[in-house]
Amino acid sequence: MLALLPQAIVDGVLLGGIYLTVAMGFSLAYGVLHVIDFAVGEWIMLGAFAGLAFTEWTHLDPLLSLPAIFVVFAAVGWMLQPLLQRVLSGSRGRPVLMALVFTFGLALAIRGSALTIFGIFTHSLNTALSQGSWHVSRGSFFLTVPFIRLAGLVYALAVIAVLNYLLKRTDFGLAVRAVAQHKEAAGLMGVDIRRTSAAVYGLYVGTSAMTGVFIGAIVSLNASMGPDLSLFAFFVVVLAGMGYLAGAPWAAFLLGLIQSFFLIYFNPSYVLLALFTILYLILLISPTGMFRRGV
Amino acid sequence: MRGRPAWMWILLVIAAVGAVPAVMTDPFFLRLFTEALMWIGLAITWDVMAGYTGYLNFGHGVFFGVGAYTAALLIIRAGMPFGLAAALGGLVAGVVALVSGWPTLRLRGAYFAIGTWALNRAVGQLALVLEITGGPDGMRLPPFLRPQFFAWVMLAVVGATFLALWLLLEQAPFGLKLKAIREDESGSLAIGLNPARLKLQAFVLSAVPAGIIGGVYAYWITFIDPSSTLGDLITDQAVVMAIFGGLGTLIGPVIGAIVFFAFKTYFWAYLSDYQVLYLIILGLAIAATVFFLPDGFWGAVTNRLEGRRALRKGLSLGEAAGT
Amino acid sequence: MAEPVLRLEDVSMAFGGLMAVQDVSFDVAPGEIVGLIGPNGAGKTTVFNTVSGYYRPTRGRISFLGRDVTGRPPYALAAMGIGRTFQIVKPFAGLSVLENVLVASYLRYPRQAEARQKAWEVLKFIGLGERAHLPAAGLTVAGRKRLEMGKALALEPRLLLLDEVVAGLNPTEADQTVRLILRIRDAGVTILIVEHIMRVIMTISTRLIVLNFGQMIAQGRPEAVAQDRQVIEAYLGEDAGGAGGVCA
Repeated sequence: MLALLPQAIVDGVLLGGIYLTVAMGFSLAYGVLHVIDFAVGEWIMLGAFAGLAFTEWTHLDPLLSLPAIFVVFAAVGWMLQPLLQRVLSGSRGRPVLMALVFTFGLALAIRGSALTIFGIFTHSLNTALSQGSWHVSRGSFFLTVPFIRLAGLVYALAVIAVLNYLLKRTDFGLAVRAVAQHKEAAGLMGVDIRRTSAAVYGLYVGTSAMTGVFIGAIVSLNASMGPDLSLFAFFVVVLAGMGYLAGAPWAAFLLGLIQSFFLIYFNPSYVLLALFTILYLILLISPTGMFRRGV
Repeated sequence: MRGRPAWMWILLVIAAVGAVPAVMTDPFFLRLFTEALMWIGLAITWDVMAGYTGYLNFGHGVFFGVGAYTAALLIIRAGMPFGLAAALGGLVAGVVALVSGWPTLRLRGAYFAIGTWALNRAVGQLALVLEITGGPDGMRLPPFLRPQFFAWVMLAVVGATFLALWLLLEQAPFGLKLKAIREDESGSLAIGLNPARLKLQAFVLSAVPAGIIGGVYAYWITFIDPSSTLGDLITDQAVVMAIFGGLGTLIGPVIGAIVFFAFKTYFWAYLSDYQVLYLIILGLAIAATVFFLPDGFWGAVTNRLEGRRALRKGLSLGEAAGT
Repeated sequence: MAEPVLRLEDVSMAFGGLMAVQDVSFDVAPGEIVGLIGPNGAGKTTVFNTVSGYYRPTRGRISFLGRDVTGRPPYALAAMGIGRTFQIVKPFAGLSVLENVLVASYLRYPRQAEARQKAWEVLKFIGLGERAHLPAAGLTVAGRKRLEMGKALALEPRLLLLDEVVAGLNPTEADQTVRLILRIRDAGVTILIVEHIMRVIMTISTRLIVLNFGQMIAQGRPEAVAQDRQVIEAYLGEDAGGAGGVCA
């Protein structure tokens, strides 16, 4: 049993890397727009299917579709965000609550569309990296790291690096951080709030869609996978503390480890229950996340 | 309103509706009748949290499912009579609300939405893996095929729920206190309200009737499984109905439930090949209502009426509302 | 002095490393109108928040009517007799003016009929009777501030904390509010008031307490405090130390 431990840990870390990309985009969008997007899992799912469609049309490796997928989905997000903004600035009802309902409805519509177009079956994305794996075996210690999972980690690190650079080293990033902290003040200082918000949402949708391609390749994809992925995103963000980006890596890797441990040692169907229990315990003990730095 | 008090009118309406199953005995019609009532019950109970208290419960279906499974288990395994089993279904749903609400209601609305949504999925997962609940195959209840009986039972449950909610939310101070919390939770502390306690009470209030309705559903349909009772669709539809009808009132969700159920029946009759299209319509309906009709249908109507009354009497809006 | 309505003993409030309020001690006697003044950021609203239960003081003791109420939640304090308004007014926007006061009336009058009667009385007292059925969101600034006071009055408080109820009003409205405050005092309510409009607070306060950087720097009759050098420096800077007084 102990022999499986290294595998469980490595799997968990690699999975965690993937979840981190989702969580960062999601947390970023929340920090700027102050709305939980219930459709986060659906964007991932759509990205996965986009990769599938790309492969079936062009017969090229799905990983090559990443740039195109990012651009397309970022554009979709960019165009969608003003709608969300209109709901958020509504004068009647309670705008933040209504925006939540809006994203909830959006998620449902997307899922329904995906089920309609793509059916109920599960697919798999095959890439050049899907077959090979790196194998280490020394006595009772063994480790198998599929290349595709390694690629996922590379992707995750690249995304985090780029996001980090964008936020800390560019004017755009400065604008984003200003809007996240104090929208009115940022506007008064010449930041175009609308464009910045739309760009952030586009960035988040685009990144989520790209992550979908990897999830489709590493695990599988089907039109109903959205909600579980949303749950993972919520889990990471709540555990890390809403809006506290620095806590996301720890939470993401914890999530990955929990999942891989359940896959290897326990019954995978209990993963959701375990996540849920932990989520509840966190909310009970420390609602601002495990670092108590959330919002 | 002069004359009889509101609750007498409500009882009158319930009695009038109750006469229908006595006259129209066609089983298919009675099935529709019963299901429409069921949705009214789910929509108004969802509104208790969403409209009155301002907290979105995206897992409201969990109370329905827990009630259904509890009643089913009690009827099948313990041989309990239906009425008692359904009542206990409501009780267990209430306990679930109490236990899950206590940590999540202390937080902001978004966390509550996530927490309830996650709870629903988790309980659905539980029902899928446990042997006692029959797993993915669900549970079969002993058949008791009496359409009229269930029509009246559902009417009694939903009617009683409506009446109770009317008394508690529209007549008693409780409703206004919830609304105050909805408007400004921090400010409500200063005027002597204890939001944590009031929210929990509202949450349990929304859960118990939904659980009883679930229990009735189980015995009525004689078959339950995780996807039909603990799936997303229960919550999704209740949300559409309440939002379309108009949050923060009791009449709004009733109208929303009836309208949407009528649409759904029509849809299934003619478009049942396109089942997944229904999801799209649900989702778009929710998004569109939020976008174009944030106060819902009934909200838009009452806004119009107030405006018209003011114009007619040449009064300011405030004075008109008072007459 | 008769037993004080409110007593603060060495109350301090720290946020992380920042000491917003430090070792503040004072009494408020029954029937007084005590003015709490000081430059922006002096800690006045923080004091209010500790007294009304929104903050738990880091150190010190708060006693109300002889009982230790340090750290009790706001609703408990409301029940005991502390009412407050907020600097940034918090009307229940989606409810009518009447409903705003009605919710507050439930504290003392749990029954619907009596609560309604109380609410109407309060509305007439504060002069919002004609706008009872208007949505609270539709009130002007002056109306909202008065509604704030109405909600607190419906609690039938012994101690009323008024946070800048005159700021933002034109002179006529301000005078009306001042008269209202005096009527409240005449009805037997003790008042602790924060205000920047010097003209107002100088004339109605029986006593002033001056805060600067979270600490009490002066206390006493308005005329005396106005001449206090430390107070003048706090408001006008050290160069003005020799000048007349804080203008009234």
